[in-house]
Amino acid sequence: MITVFGIFLLSLLVITALAIVQTRNLFVAVMLAAIFSLLMAANFFILDAADVALTEAAVGAGVTTVILLSALALTAEREKRSGSIRWISVAVVAVTVLILIYATFDKPALGDPDAPVHQHVAPWYLEKTPVFMDIPNVVTAVLASFRGYDTLGEVFVVFVAMVGVLFVLGGDGGRSGPITTPDPGLRHHLIPKVVGRLLLPFIILFGLYVQFHGEYGPGGGFQAGAIIATGLILHALLEGEQAALRSVPAGAMQALVVAGASLYGGVGVACMLLGGSFLDYSVLHPDPVTGRQIGIIAIELGVGMAVCGALLSIFHAFAAREH
Amino acid sequence: MYTAAALAILVTMGLALVRALLGPGVYDRVLAVNMLGTKTTLLLAVVAFLYGWPDFLDLALAYALINFVGVLAVLEFFQNRARADEP
Repeated sequence: MITVFGIFLLSLLVITALAIVQTRNLFVAVMLAAIFSLLMAANFFILDAADVALTEAAVGAGVTTVILLSALALTAEREKRSGSIRWISVAVVAVTVLILIYATFDKPALGDPDAPVHQHVAPWYLEKTPVFMDIPNVVTAVLASFRGYDTLGEVFVVFVAMVGVLFVLGGDGGRSGPITTPDPGLRHHLIPKVVGRLLLPFIILFGLYVQFHGEYGPGGGFQAGAIIATGLILHALLEGEQAALRSVPAGAMQALVVAGASLYGGVGVACMLLGGSFLDYSVLHPDPVTGRQIGIIAIELGVGMAVCGALLSIFHAFAAREH
Repeated sequence: MYTAAALAILVTMGLALVRALLGPGVYDRVLAVNMLGTKTTLLLAVVAFLYGWPDFLDLALAYALINFVGVLAVLEFFQNRARADEP
């Protein structure tokens, strides 16, 4: 059955991708990209990758569409017709596709226990997670502890992305004088207003649940940060740009990213000061298992803060440019 | 029974995708996206029970909570565009 679901969803995915490439209307492309993200999340879920599916849900369902639409508001709605077909590019793409298809012939079957990916470090992670951390979600253990350096790198990638967007769009924290066009948001529309205000506290609550329940169920800092950012973007859509910036100023968002990244790095340095190696959480508590759990919770919090702040900053940088 | 429900949801997703591809109007596409969103929520919930992972209902919950933010953004986009065209 799972194969039938997979084939069906992947076919829809391919159709959507082709349609995105083919369409000239950028609004249609944005809508199709939203559909692509939904189908992708369903695919991840069917493959039993709940943490990835939750990330795709948290980022794709809200934030991506909002940011793409903000970008679209700054440009024309239709893509310019490009001139002649570039045959060299077509040839390069075609050859690459053929090589990739040829490469899939050597790929082990889906879920094959003898596949290299299941033979390398994965069995060790599965075996040692209950011993070292005593938490049920192995994904969180791998992400936050076994491969903590990689995640630290990702947090700094998020940080650099935010800095890059702010440089390009000239986001100066709203200090460039008053915004000329008043932005009423959607508060004059009854249904969005009522539903939005009703759901906002639950979105934030759910974000906190995902943040602090990440060791037990799907989720963690990345997903929680994106969900909370979505909640605050909803607030901005309903109440308008200025009202949202009054409750969470742009400086606070940027400070949140810096604080999150510093918290993560700080935990690593604290481990070194206590006599362990960088990001070796076992020294944080007399009991190494509890120490690792404390470390995981602390760095997940750092990740959540960084992601939330970065997404909000990027959203407001686009929105400020619009007005 | 869960299997039948899941297949029905998949077919509905296919139909919604057809509407999103054909259009013709903006609202057809917005509705199609919204519908695919609800169907994804349902599919996740049904598959979670079909395979006995009720913990993963969290994902369906995440979609149920934040799916409409994208649709609101579309509405705001058209509201702003209409206001920009007015004067």
